[in-house]
Amino acid sequence: MSDELKDLPLVKAPDAIWARIEAELDRPSQSPRRFLPGFAWACAFAAMLIIGLYVLYRPKAEWDVVRADGSKGKIAVGDWLETGAASKAVLTVGDIGTVEVHPNTRVRLEAAKPGEQRLKLARGDISATVTAPPRLFIVDTPASTAFDLGCAYTMHADEDGNGLLRVTLGWVSLEWAGRESLVPAGASCRTHAKVGPGTPYFDDASQALQDALKQFDFENGGEPALEMALSESRVRDTLTLWHLLSRVAPVDRQRVFQRMVQLVPLPQSVSADKALQLDPETLKLWREELAWKW
Amino acid sequence: MAGLGDLDEISADIIESCRRGDRDAFRALYETYKDKVYSIALYFFHGDASAASDITQQVFLKLIRDIAQFRGESGFSTWLYRLVVNACMDAARRAKPREIVADTRSEPGSQEEDFARRQRAQSVQAALSALPVKFRLPMLLRYFEDLSYQEMARALGCSMGTVASRLSRGHRMLAQKLESLR
Repeated sequence: MSDELKDLPLVKAPDAIWARIEAELDRPSQSPRRFLPGFAWACAFAAMLIIGLYVLYRPKAEWDVVRADGSKGKIAVGDWLETGAASKAVLTVGDIGTVEVHPNTRVRLEAAKPGEQRLKLARGDISATVTAPPRLFIVDTPASTAFDLGCAYTMHADEDGNGLLRVTLGWVSLEWAGRESLVPAGASCRTHAKVGPGTPYFDDASQALQDALKQFDFENGGEPALEMALSESRVRDTLTLWHLLSRVAPVDRQRVFQRMVQLVPLPQSVSADKALQLDPETLKLWREELAWKW
Repeated sequence: MAGLGDLDEISADIIESCRRGDRDAFRALYETYKDKVYSIALYFFHGDASAASDITQQVFLKLIRDIAQFRGESGFSTWLYRLVVNACMDAARRAKPREIVADTRSEPGSQEEDFARRQRAQSVQAALSALPVKFRLPMLLRYFEDLSYQEMARALGCSMGTVASRLSRGHRMLAQKLESLR
């Protein structure tokens, strides 16, 4: 089957396509004109005037805003947008996606440029849907930074930084002070003031596992919480265990490792010793293998 | 069929020149990827050359206009195939069902080998075209473009687990369809 598929021939694209692309690219441009010598100084003056006016009145980097009542506006970099108990708004993130701002939410536009679209969520709830190269769309909360890896997600945060990320499509990388949680579709991750992102878990994980993670991550749950998390884990919860491996005390690492390989045999390509030493490349390779089960 | 991973490295300079608006660099980028983009669109749209040309034009125009947004931290091919996937999905949503057009080209070889290869490719293409979109795209990306599971997951906007299960089901469905075509 695989061989038959690989035998599918590569088909040469017709030459005419590039000509059509060039025609499209050239459409907005104008052909150069000859200036009459007598107008040279006038043109230079006009150009300087236009540049001056542009500098004075140039448009600020901004996103479009549509409020629930249908009214339209703009939000510029540095501006805050706040919704009341009964209002909401939709922000258009350039041409890469939208952010729905739910009631009782306060956001600020931090950056709106080609290489970075960034929003600060001070409190409340947002839903983001983005189709852009990974890590282009970023949301800061008081205790985490969410980097879009191509996805759709909802995010809640209170003013202290306690919150919840829930991913519905693709992946999100939740990062804070050197701590990183990779959250795939169908999974969630809590954030907590002064701690940052907790351990991600699938939404269909048992309530006991979810509670144990909360205790372990944010309430000094220690050994009992870890034991509960290990015993409650299913094959799919190796997502959670993979993150825990590098977060537990060294003395507990072997237990997490043993539970993981009990649920999913260690791939031949992954070295047990290197995994226990938290070798970054080994952990990455193991995660990619485990992700088949997620 | 070579994947795009190895092409990413040699394209780094070209991408940088494209960011500066260098038309020659755009052309070089286009020449590097055009056949792969065109082929995947062609197989996706049941051999419809007109649809494949439109998709290829659309993808590269979007790529050229938005390349300033590409920061190089992620794989270029991931972004490119995401554009291809989105363009194919959008067009599929708009389009009415099309008839299957067998138009695969042959590679050099003897006449008998050529005929057999063409027959085989036509069968596979017909079976592929009959798969539902959500199974067809992962199959094309995996076997025609040789993308990794991670690249496919990013291009398709789903988890690697979903990619694996769709490939698995796609395989089974394709095998059944090939059997019925033989």
